[in-house]
Amino acid sequence: MDIFANLAHGFAVALSPINLLMCLIGALVGTLVGVLPGIGTIATVAMLLPITFGLPPVGALIMLAGIYYGAQYGGSTTSILVNIPGEATSVVTAIDGHQMARQGRAGPALAIAAIGSFFAGCVATVLIAVLGAPLTKLALAFGPAEYFSLMVLGLIFAVVLAKGSVLKAIAMIVFGLLLSMVGSDIETGASRMAFNIPELADGLGFATVAMGVFGFAEIIRNLDAGAEMSRDLVQQKITGLMPTKKDLIDSTPAILRGTVLGSILGILPGGGATIASFGAYTLEKKLARDPSRFGRGAIEGVAGPESANNAAAQTSFIPLLTLGIPPNAVMALMVGAMTIHGIVPGPQVMQKQPDLVWGMIASMWIGNLMLIIINLPLVGIWVRLLRVPYRLMFPSIVIFCAIGIYSVNNAPVDVILAGVFGLVGYWLIKHDFEPAPLLLGMVLGPLMEENLRRALLISRGDWSVFLTRPLSAVLLAVAAGLLVLTVLPSLRSKRDEVFTESEN
Amino acid sequence: MTSIRTLTSGACAVALASLCIFTAPAKAQTYPTRSITMIVPFAAGGPTDVVARIVTGHMAQTLGQSVIIENVVGAGGTTATTRAARAANDGYTLITGHMGTHAASVPLYPKLAYHPEKDFEPIALLAGTPILILARKDFPPKDLNEFVTYVKANAEKVNAAHAGVGSVSHVSCELLHSILDVKPVSVPFSGTGPAMNALVGGQVDYMCDQIVNAVPQINAGTIKAYAIATPQRNPSLPNVPTTAEAGLPKFQAQAWNAMFAPKGTSAAIVASLNAAASKALDDETVKKRLLELGSVIPTAAERTPEALATLVKNEIAKWTPVLKPAT
Amino acid sequence: MADTMGHSATATRNTRLALGFCLLAIAPQIFELIWSIGTIFGWGAGRGPGTVLTSHVTALLAGAPSAIFGSFGGGTKKMSSEVLLALIYTYPLLVVAILTLFMTVRSAQDYVGGVVLMAVALFALWAGSDLQGMRGFSFGAGTAPRMFSGLLVALSAAIALTGLLTDGPAMAHYSWRGPLFVVAAILFFALAIRPLGVVVTAFISFMIAATGSQETRWREAVIVGACLTLGCAILFPYVLGLPMPMLPRFLIQ
Repeated sequence: MDIFANLAHGFAVALSPINLLMCLIGALVGTLVGVLPGIGTIATVAMLLPITFGLPPVGALIMLAGIYYGAQYGGSTTSILVNIPGEATSVVTAIDGHQMARQGRAGPALAIAAIGSFFAGCVATVLIAVLGAPLTKLALAFGPAEYFSLMVLGLIFAVVLAKGSVLKAIAMIVFGLLLSMVGSDIETGASRMAFNIPELADGLGFATVAMGVFGFAEIIRNLDAGAEMSRDLVQQKITGLMPTKKDLIDSTPAILRGTVLGSILGILPGGGATIASFGAYTLEKKLARDPSRFGRGAIEGVAGPESANNAAAQTSFIPLLTLGIPPNAVMALMVGAMTIHGIVPGPQVMQKQPDLVWGMIASMWIGNLMLIIINLPLVGIWVRLLRVPYRLMFPSIVIFCAIGIYSVNNAPVDVILAGVFGLVGYWLIKHDFEPAPLLLGMVLGPLMEENLRRALLISRGDWSVFLTRPLSAVLLAVAAGLLVLTVLPSLRSKRDEVFTESEN
Repeated sequence: MTSIRTLTSGACAVALASLCIFTAPAKAQTYPTRSITMIVPFAAGGPTDVVARIVTGHMAQTLGQSVIIENVVGAGGTTATTRAARAANDGYTLITGHMGTHAASVPLYPKLAYHPEKDFEPIALLAGTPILILARKDFPPKDLNEFVTYVKANAEKVNAAHAGVGSVSHVSCELLHSILDVKPVSVPFSGTGPAMNALVGGQVDYMCDQIVNAVPQINAGTIKAYAIATPQRNPSLPNVPTTAEAGLPKFQAQAWNAMFAPKGTSAAIVASLNAAASKALDDETVKKRLLELGSVIPTAAERTPEALATLVKNEIAKWTPVLKPAT
Repeated sequence: MADTMGHSATATRNTRLALGFCLLAIAPQIFELIWSIGTIFGWGAGRGPGTVLTSHVTALLAGAPSAIFGSFGGGTKKMSSEVLLALIYTYPLLVVAILTLFMTVRSAQDYVGGVVLMAVALFALWAGSDLQGMRGFSFGAGTAPRMFSGLLVALSAAIALTGLLTDGPAMAHYSWRGPLFVVAAILFFALAIRPLGVVVTAFISFMIAATGSQETRWREAVIVGACLTLGCAILFPYVLGLPMPMLPRFLIQ
């Protein structure tokens, strides 16, 4: 078979000492960047891009790819330990992962995240090698109408993941959508709700808002009088580092489902990976016998989304490797790296640059192996970090977050905005609003609006395109079904509450 | 290794910097005495960034100081350009601007905080990037003449794509439409990647874009090119006719990258930067890498600060009537 | 209602809430006024405090009412941004504040949460009011923001309503020390990083943030802060290659 010859060739390339070293550096830097709150993958790859000029192209790309998926491993660490998601894809990991950490189960949460990511990474790598070319058709079949429907589905996921009131969750999504409207209009370039602040011209950054409503708000809340007790409790309770047999049994199906979902959605450029992790969480919550455990430290709530986002991180290479079209900002930077080396990727990159493509695919598997070897022993160190007294921990987190946010655009205004969102987040906590739906609304908002407008432009204002295009119709049907499933029971229980109270 | 590399280079920089502090009085006359910051108004890895890195890499050798690239993104590059306009005019902060930031921005952003002519000292034109008229592979017209007739006849039905307001693909398509005197629906995408994806996937009919991204797609047959909007054919696409050959000589457009310093930078500094840039453009490796990108390297006459000043003036005059009514 | 004690207690509570909402209703105007004071010292460009004050007061007291009555007469002249702010944001919130006086709030957490969120939505509605709406079949710049703001007004009203209809938790306790010092540390960082560099900024920000907790032990905090600063100074500019100044600008030049 051709494929084995290709893979063998790829491994021969990837196993050369220099490429192994590049892969290791990429994995290490990726882990570091993922762990540090605020510093995103995009910023890091952009910073390190100049260094790759002096390297051979294959090595350079192996390293950059390593940073990209390494950050997916590292990102879950901060989400679980300190409730600060660094990327949109790790927002859901924070929900149950951090609850597990509060119950003294940070070790199992981190370990299962690493194991799930490893499994998903391996499967997705094989998928790229075997099915890369046919799967490309999916990416091309997705037009604006399909993307809009997918985003609608994504927003329904956000409703499902809410722990408390559905009404409040929907309000938070809409709040997030509204925040995402800040910036420039895509069609006319008009400045929207930016109050003539130049830094707002391109909208609020995800990292800025996420650091604010998760990171800073969490710190401020923990400083409240009376919060010391629960904190100290967390530090004393730390039990086993590795997952128990029961944890493994519980999370195996979640990892499998997450991997499948992530692999499929990862191929779609723009937002695919985010929707994959939210979708995996929703799926687990809907399939669970006792959905009330979710949001209170369910290990499936970590295993599913983490597998999904790592699978998606791998399969998102497919459009780049088969079409030469970068599906997201990090990939666009990799295209930049290739161009600097005189390789302009296109549909024939697989035939013209077999070393590069197959070497990269093989290195992904090797990289994932390295990452699990790096990350499992690190679990012990991370958990020990939780024992650092909070009075020293919180100023350090403040500084790391501030530097991280500043580094994204070298803009002090971003840091101030994150501080403002910290206060907003504190207020949200006090009024029992959840920040996760807000962030999802913020990430999906622009994608939804832009694709809706594109679809309507192309159809000349005919809304029926969303139903006449089969893929789009299916996605909308799934969304509608899910909404009914979610809203009905909660309405019923709400009504029961109202009735029981009025009887008294 | 990266860390060691950066660490040592960092250490060298510190050593150099301290050296500069002590030796500064002695050689205060010779610019540059410390590293130069080059602002690139777009993301690392983009066409402008690649050009800036290739050229400044060589310039650093000539000047004997490192050139640090700072990518500042936002608002079609105008955020970065505003920052550069306000920077100290000591020759240590420069900007690699392009057609968008230093010409098309004038009509596009009425509240622009700088003026390309009044707030900058032109240094040198670095590279030109030809623009192509591209279409999905099953779009009916076979050549440019048919395309013109088809678009004019079906202006209500066709969809043009562009990579966002103010992008090269947007402004050049607006120029094409104004020449053809049609107003088809323009579908905006967020960046060249998604726009190209939609064109390859057949979601939209045609677009105008820079040569860099299009060559591999054209060679693979996933999209087709009608013409190149430059006076000469490009070596990377020898079979694509120029707009003049194909029957639309009025459509001439080229994205260009050029180096600017804040207004008031001394003539001596501008001259030494211009000389370094010109030397870089004559270097064989630099030439080769720019040509690989499909770029057109400016001739010696086009590289002077005066020529750049004229170019900026002409470009503003060219784009203003095209883009004013569009916004 | 027979329990007069309880009634008077909710009454004082409601007056305070209503006063709070009134303050919220004119918060943007107050903010602009404070901001405009800066122009006296030459910071930033904009209108002076005098102009800001008179334009808002006329808009609130005269412009907006006349615009409301004018609309009955069919007059459709373009309204100024201050009048729009009063119409879209301040008046609805004042109405809510007055209504609050007559309501029994059963869950202050939900009620206040809903009302404040509504204020945010109304403010967004105003902020997006200058944007173009639908043009034929294509969306204008303002279509989606207005759609979402409208939706959020409705949803937050529903949340506020649940706060009136169902029993729920009261207002949570807010503390001031943590938020104050953490935000102060962030602000200091933002303002100082460019002129003062990583080393000075990170250390001082660390110390400001540490003041936010009463558990802080100073000697320990200084040592940890210094180590952290050193770590950051090596990690960010060198290992990760982020372009940020290390030392204060005046030391370098």
